[in-house]
Amino acid sequence: MKRNVFSTNKVQLLIFLLPAFLIVLLFYIIPIIITVYVSFTPMRNWNIDKYFNVIVGLQNYNRLFSLITRDPVARQVVVNTIVFVAITLVINVLGGLGLALANFFIDERVSTGFRTLWLLPRMTPIAVYGLLWYYFFHGSNIGMLNSIAMSLGLIKKPIAWGQEVIPWGPWSIIIIVNGFVGVSFGMVIFYSALKSIPRELIIAARVDGASNWKLTTNILIPLLRWHLLFVTTWQLLSLLTTYAHTFLLVEWGVVSRTYGQTWALYVFNTAFGRGEQDQGLAAAAAVILVIFGAILGWITVRALGFNKMITKPKGDI
Amino acid sequence: MAGNTTKYAIIGIIIIIIIAIGAYYATQKPAQTTTTPTTTSSPSPTTTSSPSPTTTTAPPKTVELTGNFNKDIIAVGKALEANGISEVKFTVWAAGDPNSVMRIYGIYEAAHRINKIWADNGINVKITVNKYWISDFNQLYQEYLSKQPLGQAGDFFVDSYVFIGSLAKEGYILDITPWVNKYWDSVFSDFYKPLWQGMKVGDKYYGIPQDTEARPLYIRKDVAKCIGWDLTNVANLVKEGKFTWKDVYEKAKEAVSKGCSEWGLIHRKGSAHPDLIQFIYAFGGKLYDPEKDKLVLDVPAVYKWLYVEWKFAQDGLLPKDIMSWDWAKQIHPTIVEGKTLFDIGGTWYWTEWQTKDYYTDPNTGEKRGLKPEEVKEWFYYTLFPAGEEGLKPVTLSQPFAWMINSRAGEQNPKYDELKDLYHKLAFLIVVKASDPDINAIHSVISAHVPVRKKATELLYDKDWINKLVNLQLDLAPEVKDNIKDIVATTVNEINVEFLANVSYMLDYTHMAPNHPKYPALADIFAETVDQVLRGQMTPEEAVQHIISRIQADPELSQAVEIVGEIPSGWQFP
Repeated sequence: MKRNVFSTNKVQLLIFLLPAFLIVLLFYIIPIIITVYVSFTPMRNWNIDKYFNVIVGLQNYNRLFSLITRDPVARQVVVNTIVFVAITLVINVLGGLGLALANFFIDERVSTGFRTLWLLPRMTPIAVYGLLWYYFFHGSNIGMLNSIAMSLGLIKKPIAWGQEVIPWGPWSIIIIVNGFVGVSFGMVIFYSALKSIPRELIIAARVDGASNWKLTTNILIPLLRWHLLFVTTWQLLSLLTTYAHTFLLVEWGVVSRTYGQTWALYVFNTAFGRGEQDQGLAAAAAVILVIFGAILGWITVRALGFNKMITKPKGDI
Repeated sequence: MAGNTTKYAIIGIIIIIIIAIGAYYATQKPAQTTTTPTTTSSPSPTTTSSPSPTTTTAPPKTVELTGNFNKDIIAVGKALEANGISEVKFTVWAAGDPNSVMRIYGIYEAAHRINKIWADNGINVKITVNKYWISDFNQLYQEYLSKQPLGQAGDFFVDSYVFIGSLAKEGYILDITPWVNKYWDSVFSDFYKPLWQGMKVGDKYYGIPQDTEARPLYIRKDVAKCIGWDLTNVANLVKEGKFTWKDVYEKAKEAVSKGCSEWGLIHRKGSAHPDLIQFIYAFGGKLYDPEKDKLVLDVPAVYKWLYVEWKFAQDGLLPKDIMSWDWAKQIHPTIVEGKTLFDIGGTWYWTEWQTKDYYTDPNTGEKRGLKPEEVKEWFYYTLFPAGEEGLKPVTLSQPFAWMINSRAGEQNPKYDELKDLYHKLAFLIVVKASDPDINAIHSVISAHVPVRKKATELLYDKDWINKLVNLQLDLAPEVKDNIKDIVATTVNEINVEFLANVSYMLDYTHMAPNHPKYPALADIFAETVDQVLRGQMTPEEAVQHIISRIQADPELSQAVEIVGEIPSGWQFP
């Protein structure tokens, strides 16, 4: 008798789904609902008792719109976010792919050490990793980059790379710092995918005289399509919401606050920053970020045919 | 099989729901009982609702403050004891330079003195104090904001008065008006009156002055000598408005061009408030309109301030990246090693240079603090000069305040019943911490100016100073232990003389507004002045930038009045 796995007892399905559902509910759905709600309140200075039950309609969204259209700093935040996400995404996806392919073609013993090396930025605590880059890009002669450039005679006096060379100085720093972390994610995914490709395909290609380039472009990359889609979507959404490394570099003064602040960091600074701590406005900015993230994620998924990947297999199992 | 699984699943889900409901109720506080603050000084006998035929007297839940400290503190102690309280725990949060530890230990000392009074009167209650200290007062404020609603902030909050406006608005600190009034004659009338303005929001008091200071312009005597500049009478010329920022620029330029110093001027990092705000007042501007209760963006004064900063930085007299310099590694070493002619500083620098190892001794190559004699020999000080002729010199004070958390005492037993009693005890601890000797110790070891006349008098009392030097004062052992090193370094005739010499500056002082929106405006100033110094904006662009940012935010634009225009034809120097 044929038995379709998708018609299994619903209670059993519920049991399997319940833990994941609870986690999503507790840590995503409920926070989103609270964030949306707070964006309609004048919440500030964490005064829940005073402001949580006060509804101000779209006031925070009006403020946000006014800031984006008229405040040069808020406008710059939008530009920073677009540049940062676009360039870092390309680096993370293509860099991850390049590293995975390099690992694939070199000796297994060597590639293990190589992969570990590239995973270090991800394994290192954020503050320590940030501190390393702080000293590397520091604007005085204690900065490693300045020391090297001065000892090579390339510059005569130290340059505050993240403050003076605007806007590309601060942009480059936040892209490099986040890129080194992000690139290892793609590397791991792509490398494991490459290792799971049936060896017969590769042997057959080699027998037919395929070079590394031909093997890569005609066999490997086409077989990595779904992984590329996944990494691109994942990295896009991650980059939109990441701020920890950038926060430290801006806070420590090595990166310009105006040109180093992305939208996610703007949300954080608005809620926790040095001026007035305005959680209502920050929540509105966060909601906009979530909406943009959802739209971009949807576009990516549609454009790259994500639905094909998750379509039920044809025929019975 | 499937039937069993279903059964177990349903049972599992029911158990989870029961646990969740249980956890929810377990984390809920018991319903709060409202205690009406009574105004009677003695407990009114009440009949308990118990069915017992005998009438019992309920312990008092509060006492009325009279303005007589001993009487009040004994009444509070007895009331606590009657309610079964044997220990009261408080936490003090404070921030500041490394020598301002009496912001913490003032509360310790007050608790010690109150414990003694209670012990002498047979009251078996003891106050214990915990502390939390960081150097950055802005950061402490941020922490207080986020933790106060959770009940995790300190019971005493010792920070700048500029935060009183926003904290009072949020209900995070106690309105202490009636108690201040009770103690006005016996204690607070002795305080310097202008300081009280910063403690008020409207006509209500939310803080008690803890210290204040002036912000002198320090001048290196050796660098001045190098350029052949006789400093005699310069302080008087500044006072008379005859030595202005144009003269500061000329001298700074001369010092750098002659190779006498690397820089002409050094100032604070990070924020424009409070040091750089002095420029606005020095150019005759204002920041607040009390009649409209609005902040003011005084365009001509702000333009002139930014122009001066821009000119100094563009001409290489002031580091372009000063706003991101490091205090301990760059700013203070540059000043104490004579690499600048001028420094916009504060009175507390005078002792900070003595206790912190900012100076590299050229003979030994070792880092060390300056000796008092060196500080006196190397540094001259004046008011912050007038922006230009015809205007007055200024200084800016940022009194620190003792503030009391509106949830003070919450970590103690029966808080809901005894809240008023705990709050009054916290207030009395602050009254005690304002004792003249405690305030005078803080002033002399941290080079802050006393907040009350009796404390100032102690600074002129040689016997008292000698006792302090030898730590022969009657202080809690923990306080002695924690201040002995600072006392050994800082309490001497030179430092006491310095405090006396700068006290006249308070006649010229200004205070930034404690308006709730001031932090937002100050944040815009900080970001803008950084870009001006780096040459990323001209002064004109910077003023337009500030206006754009204010106008872009509907809330801020309602709170700030923009007055005046960029002056045409104005020149500097």
